[in-house]
Amino acid sequence: MNYDNIEILFVEDSTDDAILTIRALKKSGFTNKLHHLTDGAEALDFFYCKGIYSSRNSADLPKLILLDVKMPKVSGIQVLEKLKSDPQLRSIPVVMLTSSNEGPDVEKCFALGANSYIVKPVDSDNFFNAIKEIGLYWMILNQPPS
Amino acid sequence: MTKNDSDKLIIANKEIAFQNEEKENRAAELNIANKELLYQTSEKKNRAAELVIANKELIFQNSEKEDRAAELVIANKELAFQNEEKEKRAQELIIANRELIFQNEEKEKRASELVLANKELAFQNKEKEKRAVELLTANRELKKAEDDIRVLNEELEQKVTERTAQLLAANKELESFSYSVSHDLRAPIRAINGYTKILVEDYGESFDADGELVLQSIIHNSKKMGELIDDLLAFSKLGRKEVTFSTVNMDELLGEVIAEILPTENENIPKFDIKLLPSAKGDKSLIKQVWINLISNAIKYSSHKKETRIEIGASLKGNQVTYYIKDEGAGFDMQYYDKLFGVFQRLHSQEEFEGTGIGLAIVQKIIHRHNGTIWAESKLTEGTCFHFSLHKA
Repeated sequence: MNYDNIEILFVEDSTDDAILTIRALKKSGFTNKLHHLTDGAEALDFFYCKGIYSSRNSADLPKLILLDVKMPKVSGIQVLEKLKSDPQLRSIPVVMLTSSNEGPDVEKCFALGANSYIVKPVDSDNFFNAIKEIGLYWMILNQPPS
Repeated sequence: MTKNDSDKLIIANKEIAFQNEEKENRAAELNIANKELLYQTSEKKNRAAELVIANKELIFQNSEKEDRAAELVIANKELAFQNEEKEKRAQELIIANRELIFQNEEKEKRASELVLANKELAFQNKEKEKRAVELLTANRELKKAEDDIRVLNEELEQKVTERTAQLLAANKELESFSYSVSHDLRAPIRAINGYTKILVEDYGESFDADGELVLQSIIHNSKKMGELIDDLLAFSKLGRKEVTFSTVNMDELLGEVIAEILPTENENIPKFDIKLLPSAKGDKSLIKQVWINLISNAIKYSSHKKETRIEIGASLKGNQVTYYIKDEGAGFDMQYYDKLFGVFQRLHSQEEFEGTGIGLAIVQKIIHRHNGTIWAESKLTEGTCFHFSLHKA
């Protein structure tokens, strides 16, 4: 499989949320090359070119990471911590996705350097709009350091 | 010569003869006297010698006596001096004596006083001894009580520690429960809602009108369940949130709230009549939530009326300030008043007015967490007035 030129890296363990999120992104016109991973461990393999990603070019970085907070094995927060403490990777915008704003996750994510924190709305219209706006802001409006 | 003359001569002669005889007698006597005188002279001479001796003796004795007299004079003077001294001394002694007598009297008085005092002391001593015994007993009892208290305290402390641990555990459990509810219930509902939306969008033509209605119901109900979960979480979070008190400027806060919630594209724009509002002590963000919920309710329940009129005011009493918000909306039947502030309790049907029934429960919880009170009065179809009290700033 070709892992080059991936623009949006989407890490989400829930198949349902993944289907709905990808559909919302596509419907909003973000046909940029998107890659979906299902857990944090795989995300770390991706960035550090391990396992099935051993042949990937490590200098080839996505423009945006959508990271679910609650995942089995390696959680989104652990992935975030790793990414934001790595000088090579810390400038990639990371949008945290979560099912609720309960618990201490919000403060923790921002303290670790998350660029945004989105509670996935239950209502499909709101959910669609939220995903569309994330794409719009981070892929088009946001100006990353060159 | 005459006879007289001769007679005179004879008489004179006789006289002379007599004198002669007398002279002779006299001479004889003189002679004897002379002899006697001679004797006496000799005797006197003897006597004189004796007298000289005696005189000498007397002179000697005299001188002795004079010496003695001088000595006596001296002795006398000395005695007189001694006498004076003795008198002085006697005088002094008299004074001293008086003084001693006085002192003696005083001492006796004092002694009797001391005796009394001594008795008193002895009595007091006894009392003190009694008291000491009582105190000792009391002390022992106190010590025992103290020990008991210490033991009880320790037990209590232990219990508090245990209870705190239990509460902490319960709280943690509750938090993780909330977290789970929030995460794990929301996700499937989101999926149901999302997939139904896909059905409507991508496969809408395959459904007839009834089928379309069912899809809309699924979407609506799943959305509703999401709201209920969120409301429930918001309500349970409120109980755990710490209330931070500060002075809340109510005029300012109300202005903020109205600007935030005022419907923009609604023909029924509410007409507010806002009186001067005193400041209160409270948690600004929580009090803001109270106003948001109450004003939203007032607007919502007035939506069937031609006009929306909302009056907001306050009154001061003691250290309490009581605010009120009065609408002319649908009102409610006061016989269901006890359900008004209940969680998920509603006095109107969903078709009449939408809502989850959490708004007033949240309002009441916030007011109670401020140690305030909230109540309402209403008349069906005429309107409702809510009152709530807070500590004035």
